[in-house]
Amino acid sequence: MSLNYQFFPVSRPSEGGGGKTGNWRIVRPVVNLNKCIGCKACFLWCPENTIIPTDGKVSINYEYCKGCGVCSNVCPVKAISMVSEND
Amino acid sequence: MISKVISGNEAVALGVKLSRVKVIAIYPITPQTYIIEELAAMRDKGELDAEVIRVESEHSAMAAVYGAASAGVRVYTATASQGLLYMHEMIWWVAGSRIPIVMTVGTRAVGAPWNIWNEHTDFMSERDSGWLMAFASTPQEALDLTIQAFKISEDERVFLPMMVGMDGFILSHTKTRVYIPSQEEVDSFLPSRKQPYVLDPEDPVDIGNMFQPIDYMKLRHSMHLAILNSKEVIREIGKEYEKKVVPVGSYSSLNESYKLDDAEYAIVSMGAWSLDAMQVVDELRNMGVKIGLYRIRYIRPWDEEDIKRKLGDKDGILVFDRSVSFGRGGHLYLELKATLPDVNIKGIVTGLGGVAIGKDVISSLTRKFIEGKTSDEWFYPSEVEKVELRNPRYIK
Repeated sequence: MSLNYQFFPVSRPSEGGGGKTGNWRIVRPVVNLNKCIGCKACFLWCPENTIIPTDGKVSINYEYCKGCGVCSNVCPVKAISMVSEND
Repeated sequence: MISKVISGNEAVALGVKLSRVKVIAIYPITPQTYIIEELAAMRDKGELDAEVIRVESEHSAMAAVYGAASAGVRVYTATASQGLLYMHEMIWWVAGSRIPIVMTVGTRAVGAPWNIWNEHTDFMSERDSGWLMAFASTPQEALDLTIQAFKISEDERVFLPMMVGMDGFILSHTKTRVYIPSQEEVDSFLPSRKQPYVLDPEDPVDIGNMFQPIDYMKLRHSMHLAILNSKEVIREIGKEYEKKVVPVGSYSSLNESYKLDDAEYAIVSMGAWSLDAMQVVDELRNMGVKIGLYRIRYIRPWDEEDIKRKLGDKDGILVFDRSVSFGRGGHLYLELKATLPDVNIKGIVTGLGGVAIGKDVISSLTRKFIEGKTSDEWFYPSEVEKVELRNPRYIK
Protein backbone atom coordinates (compact mmCIF):
# COMPACT_ATOMS: atom_id res chain seq x y z
CA MET A 1 0.00 0.00 0.00
CA SER A 2 1.53 3.31 -1.07
CA LEU A 3 1.46 6.14 1.42
CA ASN A 4 1.05 8.85 -1.23
CA TYR A 5 -2.42 9.64 0.03
CA GLN A 6 -1.18 10.67 3.48
CA PHE A 7 -1.26 14.41 4.17
CA PHE A 8 -0.81 16.16 7.51
CA PRO A 9 -1.84 19.58 8.80
CA VAL A 10 1.73 20.54 9.67
CA SER A 11 3.79 23.54 8.69
CA ARG A 12 7.10 25.08 9.73
CA PRO A 13 6.94 28.31 11.71
CA SER A 14 8.71 31.15 9.94
CA GLU A 15 8.95 34.92 9.91
CA GLY A 16 6.18 36.71 8.05
CA GLY A 17 7.23 39.36 5.50
CA GLY A 18 4.57 41.72 6.86
CA GLY A 19 5.58 41.18 10.47
CA LYS A 20 8.75 43.28 10.60
CA THR A 21 8.74 45.60 13.56
CA GLY A 22 9.90 48.83 11.93
CA ASN A 23 10.95 51.71 14.15
CA TRP A 24 8.11 51.91 16.65
CA ARG A 25 9.45 49.56 19.39
CA ILE A 26 9.83 51.31 22.77
CA VAL A 27 11.90 48.72 24.68
CA ARG A 28 13.98 45.75 23.59
CA PRO A 29 15.10 42.64 25.44
CA VAL A 30 18.80 42.21 26.09
CA VAL A 31 20.16 38.81 27.16
CA ASN A 32 22.88 38.62 29.78
CA LEU A 33 24.74 35.57 28.45
CA ASN A 34 26.58 35.10 31.72
CA LYS A 35 23.27 34.52 33.49
CA CYS A 36 21.48 32.60 30.69
CA ILE A 37 21.15 28.88 31.52
CA GLY A 38 19.79 27.91 28.09
CA CYS A 39 16.46 26.58 29.38
CA LYS A 40 14.60 27.97 26.32
CA ALA A 41 11.60 29.17 28.33
CA CYS A 42 11.82 32.49 26.40
CA PHE A 43 11.92 30.56 23.11
CA LEU A 44 8.79 28.58 24.01
CA TRP A 45 6.85 31.65 25.10
CA CYS A 46 7.92 34.22 22.47
CA PRO A 47 4.75 34.97 20.45
CA GLU A 48 6.79 36.22 17.48
CA ASN A 49 9.31 33.37 17.15
CA THR A 50 12.20 35.83 17.51
CA ILE A 51 14.27 33.94 20.07
CA ILE A 52 16.97 31.83 18.44
CA PRO A 53 18.57 29.06 20.50
CA THR A 54 22.32 29.32 19.82
CA ASP A 55 25.14 27.25 21.34
CA GLY A 56 23.18 26.38 24.49
CA LYS A 57 22.18 30.03 25.01
CA VAL A 58 19.71 32.29 23.21
CA SER A 59 19.90 35.29 20.89
CA ILE A 60 17.18 37.60 19.63
CA ASN A 61 16.04 38.56 16.13
CA TYR A 62 15.44 42.29 16.64
CA GLU A 63 14.05 42.74 13.15
CA TYR A 64 10.84 41.00 14.27
CA CYS A 65 10.90 41.45 18.07
CA LYS A 66 8.01 43.71 19.21
CA GLY A 67 9.44 44.34 22.67
CA CYS A 68 6.46 42.80 24.49
CA GLY A 69 8.60 41.61 27.42
CA VAL A 70 7.16 38.10 27.68
CA CYS A 71 10.67 36.59 27.46
CA SER A 72 11.91 38.79 30.25
CA ASN A 73 8.95 37.81 32.45
CA VAL A 74 9.28 34.05 31.95
CA CYS A 75 13.08 33.87 32.33
CA PRO A 76 13.64 31.90 35.57
CA VAL A 77 17.08 33.43 36.21
CA LYS A 78 16.23 37.03 35.22
CA ALA A 79 18.81 37.00 32.43
CA ILE A 80 16.71 39.14 30.09
CA SER A 81 16.25 42.82 30.85
CA MET A 82 14.08 45.25 28.91
CA VAL A 83 16.11 48.23 27.81
CA SER A 84 14.80 51.51 26.32
CA GLU A 85 15.35 51.87 22.58
CA ASN A 86 16.84 55.33 23.27
CA ASP A 87 19.61 53.98 25.51
CA MET B 1 -1.65 -15.34 29.75
CA ILE B 2 -3.92 -15.82 32.76
CA SER B 3 -7.70 -15.82 33.06
CA LYS B 4 -9.63 -13.89 35.69
CA VAL B 5 -13.23 -12.96 36.40
CA ILE B 6 -13.31 -9.18 35.90
CA SER B 7 -15.63 -6.46 34.62
CA GLY B 8 -15.38 -4.73 31.24
CA ASN B 9 -14.00 -1.61 32.91
CA GLU B 10 -11.28 -3.59 34.69
CA ALA B 11 -10.45 -5.37 31.44
CA VAL B 12 -10.00 -2.06 29.62
CA ALA B 13 -7.86 -0.62 32.43
CA LEU B 14 -5.59 -3.68 32.24
CA GLY B 15 -5.37 -3.32 28.45
CA VAL B 16 -4.31 0.28 28.84
CA LYS B 17 -1.68 -0.62 31.43
CA LEU B 18 -0.29 -3.43 29.26
CA SER B 19 -0.06 -1.00 26.32
CA ARG B 20 2.47 1.06 28.30
CA VAL B 21 0.52 4.30 28.09
CA LYS B 22 2.47 7.33 29.30
CA VAL B 23 -0.18 10.02 29.83
CA ILE B 24 -3.77 9.53 31.00
CA ALA B 25 -6.30 12.32 31.45
CA ILE B 26 -8.99 11.39 33.94
CA TYR B 27 -12.44 12.83 34.46
CA PRO B 28 -15.26 10.79 35.94
CA ILE B 29 -18.52 10.11 34.16
CA THR B 30 -20.78 7.10 34.61
CA PRO B 31 -20.34 4.33 33.50
CA GLN B 32 -16.64 4.63 32.60
CA THR B 33 -15.47 6.18 35.93
CA TYR B 34 -14.38 2.77 37.16
CA ILE B 35 -11.75 2.54 34.34
CA ILE B 36 -9.94 5.70 35.33
CA GLU B 37 -10.26 4.88 39.03
CA GLU B 38 -8.55 1.56 38.32
CA LEU B 39 -5.80 3.32 36.36
CA ALA B 40 -5.31 5.92 39.10
CA ALA B 41 -5.06 3.08 41.67
CA MET B 42 -2.48 1.27 39.51
CA ARG B 43 -0.47 4.49 39.30
CA ASP B 44 -0.75 4.91 43.06
CA LYS B 45 0.56 1.40 43.68
CA GLY B 46 3.44 1.95 41.28
CA GLU B 47 2.19 -0.67 38.79
CA LEU B 48 1.61 1.90 36.06
CA ASP B 49 4.39 4.18 34.85
CA ALA B 50 2.28 7.04 33.53
CA GLU B 51 1.42 10.66 34.24
CA VAL B 52 -2.19 10.83 35.43
CA ILE B 53 -3.67 14.29 34.84
CA ARG B 54 -6.80 15.24 36.73
CA VAL B 55 -8.74 17.66 34.55
CA GLU B 56 -11.87 19.72 35.16
CA SER B 57 -13.94 18.55 32.19
CA GLU B 58 -14.03 16.13 29.28
CA HIS B 59 -13.16 18.94 26.89
CA SER B 60 -9.96 19.43 28.87
CA ALA B 61 -9.38 15.67 29.09
CA MET B 62 -9.22 15.42 25.32
CA ALA B 63 -7.18 18.64 25.09
CA ALA B 64 -4.66 17.27 27.62
CA VAL B 65 -4.11 13.97 25.81
CA TYR B 66 -4.06 15.80 22.47
CA GLY B 67 -1.15 17.92 23.71
CA ALA B 68 0.74 14.95 25.15
CA ALA B 69 0.19 12.85 22.02
CA SER B 70 1.40 15.74 19.85
CA ALA B 71 4.64 15.58 21.84
CA GLY B 72 4.92 11.91 20.86
CA VAL B 73 3.83 9.78 23.81
CA ARG B 74 1.12 7.13 23.98
CA VAL B 75 -2.01 8.51 25.66
CA TYR B 76 -5.42 7.39 26.82
CA THR B 77 -8.70 8.74 28.14
CA ALA B 78 -12.25 7.46 28.57
CA THR B 79 -15.68 9.03 28.55
CA ALA B 80 -19.40 8.51 27.99
CA SER B 81 -22.66 10.24 27.16
CA GLN B 82 -22.72 13.98 28.02
CA GLY B 83 -18.94 13.86 28.47
CA LEU B 84 -18.40 12.63 24.93
CA LEU B 85 -20.68 15.38 23.66
CA TYR B 86 -18.82 17.92 25.76
CA MET B 87 -15.48 16.89 24.18
CA HIS B 88 -16.99 16.89 20.67
CA GLU B 89 -15.00 19.93 19.56
CA MET B 90 -11.67 18.46 20.69
CA ILE B 91 -12.55 15.12 19.06
CA TRP B 92 -12.57 16.89 15.70
CA TRP B 93 -9.33 18.75 16.47
CA VAL B 94 -7.53 15.51 17.24
CA ALA B 95 -8.74 13.75 14.09
CA GLY B 96 -8.02 16.75 11.85
CA SER B 97 -4.55 17.03 13.35
CA ARG B 98 -3.92 13.35 12.48
CA ILE B 99 -2.89 12.54 16.06
CA PRO B 100 -3.20 8.90 17.19
CA ILE B 101 -5.15 8.64 20.46
CA VAL B 102 -7.16 5.81 21.99
CA MET B 103 -10.32 6.43 23.99
CA THR B 104 -12.96 4.17 25.51
CA VAL B 105 -16.61 5.14 25.38
CA GLY B 106 -18.81 3.37 27.93
CA THR B 107 -21.95 4.04 25.95
CA ARG B 108 -24.89 5.63 27.72
CA ALA B 109 -28.07 7.58 26.95
CA VAL B 110 -27.84 11.31 26.36
CA GLY B 111 -29.93 13.91 28.21
CA ALA B 112 -32.43 15.46 28.37
CA PRO B 113 -33.93 13.83 30.36
CA TRP B 114 -31.29 12.46 32.72
CA ASN B 115 -30.72 8.78 32.16
CA ILE B 116 -27.62 6.87 33.10
CA TRP B 117 -28.49 3.57 31.38
CA ASN B 118 -27.22 2.00 28.22
CA GLU B 119 -27.72 3.22 24.65
CA HIS B 120 -25.46 3.75 21.61
CA THR B 121 -26.60 7.20 20.45
CA ASP B 122 -23.69 9.00 22.16
CA PHE B 123 -21.14 6.81 20.37
CA MET B 124 -22.92 7.00 17.01
CA SER B 125 -23.08 10.78 17.16
CA GLU B 126 -19.29 10.86 16.61
CA ARG B 127 -19.54 8.75 13.46
CA ASP B 128 -18.48 11.55 11.12
CA SER B 129 -15.60 12.99 13.14
CA GLY B 130 -12.73 11.14 11.44
CA TRP B 131 -12.04 8.66 14.26
CA LEU B 132 -11.82 4.94 13.77
CA MET B 133 -14.66 3.38 15.72
CA ALA B 134 -14.79 -0.16 17.08
CA PHE B 135 -17.44 -1.61 19.36
CA ALA B 136 -16.90 -4.49 21.78
CA SER B 137 -19.45 -7.20 22.55
CA THR B 138 -17.70 -8.77 25.56
CA PRO B 139 -15.23 -7.59 28.24
CA GLN B 140 -12.64 -9.81 26.51
CA GLU B 141 -13.16 -7.98 23.25
CA ALA B 142 -13.01 -4.62 25.05
CA LEU B 143 -9.53 -5.54 26.31
CA ASP B 144 -8.39 -6.97 22.98
CA LEU B 145 -9.68 -4.06 20.91
CA THR B 146 -8.08 -1.53 23.29
CA ILE B 147 -4.62 -3.06 22.82
CA GLN B 148 -5.12 -3.40 19.06
CA ALA B 149 -6.43 0.18 18.86
CA PHE B 150 -3.04 1.60 19.86
CA LYS B 151 -1.30 -0.29 17.08
CA ILE B 152 -3.97 0.47 14.44
CA SER B 153 -4.19 4.15 15.34
CA GLU B 154 -0.40 4.60 15.31
CA ASP B 155 0.13 2.71 12.03
CA GLU B 156 1.68 4.95 9.37
CA ARG B 157 -1.09 3.99 6.93
CA VAL B 158 -3.72 5.27 9.36
CA PHE B 159 -2.50 8.00 11.77
CA LEU B 160 -5.97 8.70 13.08
CA PRO B 161 -7.41 8.43 16.59
CA MET B 162 -9.57 5.45 17.53
CA MET B 163 -12.42 5.03 20.00
CA VAL B 164 -13.56 1.70 21.37
CA GLY B 165 -17.20 1.53 22.44
CA MET B 166 -18.50 -0.76 25.15
CA ASP B 167 -22.09 -1.09 26.38
CA GLY B 168 -22.41 0.91 29.59
CA PHE B 169 -23.21 -1.29 32.62
CA ILE B 170 -24.01 -4.34 30.49
CA LEU B 171 -20.30 -4.77 29.76
CA SER B 172 -18.65 -2.10 31.88
CA HIS B 173 -19.97 -3.40 35.21
CA THR B 174 -20.60 -7.07 34.53
CA LYS B 175 -17.94 -9.53 35.56
CA THR B 176 -17.02 -12.43 33.36
CA ARG B 177 -14.01 -14.55 32.58
CA VAL B 178 -11.34 -12.64 30.65
CA TYR B 179 -8.01 -13.88 29.35
CA ILE B 180 -5.36 -11.33 30.25
CA PRO B 181 -2.15 -11.39 28.23
CA SER B 182 1.23 -11.04 29.91
CA GLN B 183 3.33 -7.91 29.52
CA GLU B 184 5.80 -9.85 27.35
CA GLU B 185 3.03 -10.96 24.99
CA VAL B 186 1.75 -7.40 24.56
CA ASP B 187 5.31 -6.06 24.19
CA SER B 188 5.97 -8.51 21.37
CA PHE B 189 2.90 -7.16 19.59
CA LEU B 190 2.91 -3.45 20.35
CA PRO B 191 6.04 -1.47 19.48
CA SER B 192 6.78 1.92 20.99
CA ARG B 193 5.05 4.87 19.39
CA LYS B 194 6.42 6.47 16.23
CA GLN B 195 5.16 9.71 14.74
CA PRO B 196 6.29 11.63 11.64
CA TYR B 197 6.14 14.98 13.44
CA VAL B 198 6.17 15.93 17.12
CA LEU B 199 6.20 19.13 19.13
CA ASP B 200 9.91 19.57 19.72
CA PRO B 201 11.73 22.85 20.50
CA GLU B 202 14.76 21.59 18.54
CA ASP B 203 12.71 21.16 15.39
CA PRO B 204 9.56 23.28 15.73
CA VAL B 205 6.38 22.64 13.73
CA ASP B 206 2.89 24.13 13.75
CA ILE B 207 0.12 21.53 14.00
CA GLY B 208 -3.39 22.36 12.87
CA ASN B 209 -2.74 25.96 11.93
CA MET B 210 -4.68 28.00 9.33
CA PHE B 211 -5.12 26.13 6.04
CA GLN B 212 -6.06 27.52 2.65
CA PRO B 213 -9.25 25.94 1.19
CA ILE B 214 -7.47 23.63 -1.26
CA ASP B 215 -5.08 22.27 1.39
CA TYR B 216 -7.95 21.85 3.82
CA MET B 217 -9.85 19.79 1.29
CA LYS B 218 -6.75 17.71 0.50
CA LEU B 219 -6.39 16.96 4.22
CA ARG B 220 -10.04 15.88 4.46
CA HIS B 221 -9.53 13.63 1.43
CA SER B 222 -6.42 12.10 3.01
CA MET B 223 -8.42 11.31 6.17
CA HIS B 224 -11.10 9.65 4.05
CA LEU B 225 -8.50 7.54 2.26
CA ALA B 226 -6.74 6.67 5.52
CA ILE B 227 -10.03 5.31 6.92
CA LEU B 228 -10.62 3.29 3.74
CA ASN B 229 -7.08 1.89 3.86
CA SER B 230 -7.35 1.12 7.58
CA LYS B 231 -9.49 -1.95 6.74
CA GLU B 232 -6.43 -3.81 5.51
CA VAL B 233 -4.43 -2.60 8.51
CA ILE B 234 -7.11 -3.78 10.98
CA ARG B 235 -7.26 -7.26 9.43
CA GLU B 236 -3.48 -7.56 9.42
CA ILE B 237 -3.09 -6.35 13.01
CA GLY B 238 -6.03 -8.52 14.15
CA LYS B 239 -4.35 -11.64 12.77
CA GLU B 240 -1.07 -10.71 14.42
CA TYR B 241 -2.89 -10.15 17.73
CA GLU B 242 -4.48 -13.59 17.58
CA LYS B 243 -1.10 -15.13 16.93
CA LYS B 244 1.02 -13.24 19.45
CA VAL B 245 -1.29 -12.13 22.25
CA VAL B 246 -4.67 -13.73 23.01
CA PRO B 247 -5.65 -16.70 20.86
CA VAL B 248 -9.27 -16.75 22.11
CA GLY B 249 -10.98 -14.22 19.82
CA SER B 250 -11.30 -13.91 16.09
CA TYR B 251 -9.90 -10.67 14.72
CA SER B 252 -9.00 -11.55 11.15
CA SER B 253 -12.06 -9.71 9.87
CA LEU B 254 -13.59 -6.38 10.79
CA ASN B 255 -17.04 -7.75 11.55
CA GLU B 256 -18.16 -11.17 12.67
CA SER B 257 -20.48 -13.58 10.88
CA TYR B 258 -22.37 -16.40 12.58
CA LYS B 259 -24.06 -19.17 10.57
CA LEU B 260 -24.49 -16.84 7.60
CA ASP B 261 -23.27 -18.99 4.71
CA ASP B 262 -26.49 -20.85 3.94
CA ALA B 263 -28.81 -18.39 5.68
CA GLU B 264 -31.89 -16.92 3.99
CA TYR B 265 -32.41 -14.35 6.72
CA ALA B 266 -29.97 -12.36 8.79
CA ILE B 267 -29.94 -10.33 11.98
CA VAL B 268 -27.53 -7.39 12.11
CA SER B 269 -26.53 -5.92 15.45
CA MET B 270 -23.66 -4.36 17.39
CA GLY B 271 -22.50 -4.66 20.99
CA ALA B 272 -23.47 -6.88 23.91
CA TRP B 273 -26.93 -7.93 22.74
CA SER B 274 -25.33 -9.59 19.69
CA LEU B 275 -24.65 -12.55 21.97
CA ASP B 276 -28.38 -12.79 22.72
CA ALA B 277 -28.98 -12.56 18.98
CA MET B 278 -26.53 -15.42 18.50
CA GLN B 279 -28.63 -17.59 20.82
CA VAL B 280 -31.75 -16.57 18.90
CA VAL B 281 -30.07 -17.74 15.71
CA ASP B 282 -29.39 -21.14 17.31
CA GLU B 283 -32.97 -21.36 18.59
CA LEU B 284 -34.49 -20.51 15.20
CA ARG B 285 -32.09 -22.85 13.41
CA ASN B 286 -33.41 -25.65 15.64
CA MET B 287 -36.90 -24.74 14.43
CA GLY B 288 -35.73 -25.08 10.84
CA VAL B 289 -35.35 -21.38 9.99
CA LYS B 290 -32.21 -20.65 7.96
CA ILE B 291 -30.94 -17.58 9.73
CA GLY B 292 -27.56 -16.09 10.64
CA LEU B 293 -26.09 -13.14 12.47
CA TYR B 294 -23.80 -10.39 11.19
CA ARG B 295 -22.20 -8.54 14.07
CA ILE B 296 -20.84 -5.09 13.34
CA ARG B 297 -17.55 -4.54 15.18
CA TYR B 298 -16.30 -1.57 13.16
CA ILE B 299 -18.55 1.36 12.28
CA ARG B 300 -15.57 3.23 10.86
CA PRO B 301 -14.09 1.88 8.69
CA TRP B 302 -17.32 0.48 7.25
CA ASP B 303 -16.59 -2.87 5.59
CA GLU B 304 -18.81 -2.36 2.55
CA GLU B 305 -17.29 -5.19 0.47
CA ASP B 306 -17.72 -7.77 3.23
CA ILE B 307 -21.30 -6.69 3.92
CA LYS B 308 -22.18 -6.95 0.22
CA ARG B 309 -20.55 -10.37 0.01
CA LYS B 310 -22.11 -11.81 3.15
CA LEU B 311 -25.54 -10.16 3.14
CA GLY B 312 -26.19 -9.20 -0.49
CA ASP B 313 -28.07 -12.41 -1.32
CA LYS B 314 -30.35 -12.64 1.73
CA ASP B 315 -34.16 -12.69 1.50
CA GLY B 316 -34.52 -10.44 4.51
CA ILE B 317 -32.33 -8.61 7.00
CA LEU B 318 -33.46 -7.34 10.39
CA VAL B 319 -31.26 -4.64 11.92
CA PHE B 320 -31.32 -3.98 15.67
CA ASP B 321 -30.30 -0.46 16.59
CA ARG B 322 -29.69 0.87 20.07
CA SER B 323 -29.33 4.39 18.68
CA VAL B 324 -31.45 6.72 16.62
CA SER B 325 -31.16 9.54 14.15
CA PHE B 326 -34.48 11.22 14.89
CA GLY B 327 -36.86 11.24 11.97
CA ARG B 328 -34.77 8.73 10.00
CA GLY B 329 -34.18 5.62 12.10
CA GLY B 330 -31.32 3.65 13.57
CA HIS B 331 -27.78 4.39 12.42
CA LEU B 332 -26.89 0.80 11.53
CA TYR B 333 -30.13 0.46 9.56
CA LEU B 334 -29.32 3.59 7.55
CA GLU B 335 -25.77 2.41 6.86
CA LEU B 336 -26.98 -1.06 5.82
CA LYS B 337 -29.69 0.36 3.59
CA ALA B 338 -27.14 2.61 1.87
CA THR B 339 -24.83 -0.39 1.31
CA LEU B 340 -27.55 -2.80 0.12
CA PRO B 341 -30.29 -0.66 -1.46
CA ASP B 342 -32.00 -3.58 -3.22
CA VAL B 343 -32.23 -5.98 -0.28
CA ASN B 344 -35.31 -6.30 1.97
CA ILE B 345 -33.98 -4.62 5.13
CA LYS B 346 -36.02 -3.69 8.16
CA GLY B 347 -34.65 -1.67 11.06
CA ILE B 348 -35.88 -1.69 14.63
CA VAL B 349 -34.90 0.95 17.14
CA THR B 350 -35.09 -0.43 20.65
CA GLY B 351 -33.25 -0.66 23.96
CA LEU B 352 -32.84 3.13 24.26
CA GLY B 353 -32.10 4.57 27.69
CA GLY B 354 -31.57 1.14 29.20
CA VAL B 355 -34.81 -0.55 28.08
CA ALA B 356 -33.96 -4.20 28.74
CA ILE B 357 -33.97 -6.23 25.55
CA GLY B 358 -33.17 -9.88 26.04
CA LYS B 359 -33.15 -13.00 23.96
CA ASP B 360 -36.95 -13.44 24.07
CA VAL B 361 -37.68 -10.00 22.66
CA ILE B 362 -35.10 -10.40 19.89
CA SER B 363 -36.54 -13.81 19.12
CA SER B 364 -40.17 -12.67 18.92
CA LEU B 365 -39.30 -9.61 16.81
CA THR B 366 -37.24 -11.77 14.45
CA ARG B 367 -40.00 -14.36 14.08
CA LYS B 368 -42.51 -11.59 13.33
CA PHE B 369 -40.13 -10.19 10.70
CA ILE B 370 -39.72 -13.57 9.02
CA GLU B 371 -43.50 -14.06 8.96
CA GLY B 372 -43.78 -10.63 7.32
CA LYS B 373 -45.76 -9.18 10.21
CA THR B 374 -43.36 -6.48 11.41
CA SER B 375 -44.76 -3.03 10.83
CA ASP B 376 -43.29 -0.96 13.64
CA GLU B 377 -39.84 0.51 13.42
CA TRP B 378 -39.67 1.20 17.15
CA PHE B 379 -40.14 -1.30 19.92
CA TYR B 380 -40.52 -0.89 23.68
CA PRO B 381 -41.90 -3.73 25.74
CA SER B 382 -44.74 -2.29 27.77
CA GLU B 383 -47.31 0.45 27.88
CA VAL B 384 -45.92 3.87 28.71
CA GLU B 385 -47.97 6.17 30.86
CA LYS B 386 -48.47 9.44 29.05
CA VAL B 387 -47.72 12.68 30.81
CA GLU B 388 -50.85 14.80 31.00
CA LEU B 389 -50.34 18.00 29.09
CA ARG B 390 -51.51 21.29 30.49
CA ASN B 391 -53.70 23.53 28.42
CA PRO B 392 -51.44 25.98 26.63
CA ARG B 393 -51.12 29.19 28.56
CA TYR B 394 -50.37 32.50 26.96
CA ILE B 395 -47.76 34.74 28.42
CA LYS B 396 -49.12 38.26 28.61
